[in-house]
Amino acid sequence: MKLSTSKFLKRRSTVAAAVALTLVSTSLISTLGNAASAAAKPLTIGVSLSLTGDFADSGTAAQKGYKLWVSDVNKKGGILGRKVSIKIVNDASSPDQVVTNYTNLITQTKVDIVMGPFSSLLTIPASRVAKRYGYSFIEPAGGGPKVFLEKNPNLFFVQPAATTKGGDVFADYILSLPAASRPKTAAYVKLDDPFAAPLADNIKARFEAAGIKTVYDQTYPSETADMTPVISGVAAKSPDVLVGGTQTADAFAQVKAMIQLKFNPKWLFLSNGASSPLEFPKAIGTKNTEGVFTSSDWYPQSTAPGTPAFIKSYLAMYGGNAELIDSTSAEAYSAGTLLELVAKKTGKIDNATIIKTLHTGSWPTLVGNLSWNAYGEPQGSYLLTQWIGGTLKTVFPTKIAQHAPVAPKPAWVG
Amino acid sequence: MHLVIQALILGSLTGGVYALMASGQTLIFGIMKVINLAQGAFVIVASYLTFSLFQMTGLDPFLLIVVTTPIMFILGAATQWFLLRPLRPDDAAELSLLVTFAVALGLEGALSIVYKTTLRSIMPGYENHSWTIWGYQVNEVRFYAFLLSIAMLVILYLLLQKTKFGRSVRATVQNPMAAQLLGVNSKAVSAFGFGLGVSTTAAAGAVFGLITPFNPGSHYDLISRLLTIVVLGGMGAIGGSVIAALMMGVGAALVSALASPIWADFTFFIVLLLVLLLRPRGLFGAKVRGAL
Repeated sequence: MKLSTSKFLKRRSTVAAAVALTLVSTSLISTLGNAASAAAKPLTIGVSLSLTGDFADSGTAAQKGYKLWVSDVNKKGGILGRKVSIKIVNDASSPDQVVTNYTNLITQTKVDIVMGPFSSLLTIPASRVAKRYGYSFIEPAGGGPKVFLEKNPNLFFVQPAATTKGGDVFADYILSLPAASRPKTAAYVKLDDPFAAPLADNIKARFEAAGIKTVYDQTYPSETADMTPVISGVAAKSPDVLVGGTQTADAFAQVKAMIQLKFNPKWLFLSNGASSPLEFPKAIGTKNTEGVFTSSDWYPQSTAPGTPAFIKSYLAMYGGNAELIDSTSAEAYSAGTLLELVAKKTGKIDNATIIKTLHTGSWPTLVGNLSWNAYGEPQGSYLLTQWIGGTLKTVFPTKIAQHAPVAPKPAWVG
Repeated sequence: MHLVIQALILGSLTGGVYALMASGQTLIFGIMKVINLAQGAFVIVASYLTFSLFQMTGLDPFLLIVVTTPIMFILGAATQWFLLRPLRPDDAAELSLLVTFAVALGLEGALSIVYKTTLRSIMPGYENHSWTIWGYQVNEVRFYAFLLSIAMLVILYLLLQKTKFGRSVRATVQNPMAAQLLGVNSKAVSAFGFGLGVSTTAAAGAVFGLITPFNPGSHYDLISRLLTIVVLGGMGAIGGSVIAALMMGVGAALVSALASPIWADFTFFIVLLLVLLLRPRGLFGAKVRGAL
């Protein structure tokens, strides 16, 4: 049987009307239901995480942080008397799956609040979904420049600064030194990566403006396993300070190459890799970590309020030791803390309130006192940390430092 | 000038490490006509084996090569016997690509479960030591690796040229049917040859684990390098793969140190392309395909 166009249209509009009617009535019913049982109903939070695939390790770390926060907040009686329940679904590190997941969480599961996935790659598409449905989007792990170019007023990145500004605190420290004791020459050795290279470039811009001469500036591809030729090029210029825009393996390879070539700059800053309390000493030997600068938002020795309690409840829930706690867990935990703080301040917990409230004031969390610009870019700075006596210590800003910065860097032990 | 000479030294030593890995790969290609995509993964398996044995016993990683070599040999021979031998001879060459790639992924997965993706290093204490000679730095581990790869080549050469097994291998390569008619057990020869090729990864893995931090995913970068070395050297030419590995090491080091690291690997591919255009069988590849 063939349907004529007009008949088809007519039939379609009838169907549409029926659908609309059903939607209106169900939403009416659910609204009425909500009003009646709001006090008793648990506060549901939906999150999509990369539990498998490329970001599985970090995704799992974020899951630990979220779940720990839920357990802790429920022990305190929940939020505004409502128990908190969290639904975590797996996106297998796929930007397509993350869209499906958040759409389902919002439209099917009808969670009250959503929070962010792992990585900028997944945060961008996920935050668009949240914005479309008017949901707030507190996210612990998407801090790349493109995240903020989305101009999403619902988004709040739960780290002290945009990821590419992670090294600015090292520039702050160097430029705080009296001119006579500052480095005169600098080398920049950068991984070809959207986070690592811009981070080093930001430091370079600050240094050059202050008159620190660039004597070496090169980018290497991610498949560079052997860094000795690169470092031999750096060593030939004998710079006072070496800034490594690094991720993980390449940071370790840079250090190994420096030891092998007996090149020891007076200051050595590695953006990432050196910030891992667990991996860095394992990969290069604890004795070789001495004096290496990096930057962190949270690490086990952090002096941020709440850290001892966080570590205690983390170890009670997951075992292990404090050194094994990934900063991603602390970041996800802090995302939850923000909800608690908003509820405490306003006596309400809904998306519009969260968005409006977080745009003013500053918010103390494990990862620092947070405040944001209009599009969720944090306005603070990371902590400058340095490996001293086998552990990371905060050395700058001075007022919260645990130890004075050690410079010049001690010689490599080998 | 200092920089050029230092880069030459670094490049030759790194080239020696790759030569160590590529010699087994070339042997496998020469005997089996199998492009073994799992060779990089076998190197990483050997790195982890050495890492664990070193943690357990505290014995020197170079000494542990004596223990890991037979283990890698068995692993290689078993791979050939159970996974490659059953392939139909007609499409064995193509299918073996898929099978060995699957082996590589399987090994990577198994290692990820056991060791997680944390980067590891074998650290006996001297892994970063260098001798300073006239102001140039010569890394000890890479120097030993260089000597090891020369030793490995001599052993492989003697094995192939001077022993009965070597003659069976060469006979099988030239004409499997005739070799079989003359009483060569070509199936056993194939498994043994594959095992031998994989057993070279024991030494390569120990060295690799000493010079660079590794995790289960490290084999991808390795295999792409090994394949280009084998192609440049001439498939099946063991001596050729050493020259090619040295060319790659020195070329990459010079470009990295003097120009930009971004172009280091690219330069090698340009050389590879030129060689293949002018001399399609590689630098030292024999005219008869597969001859040793």
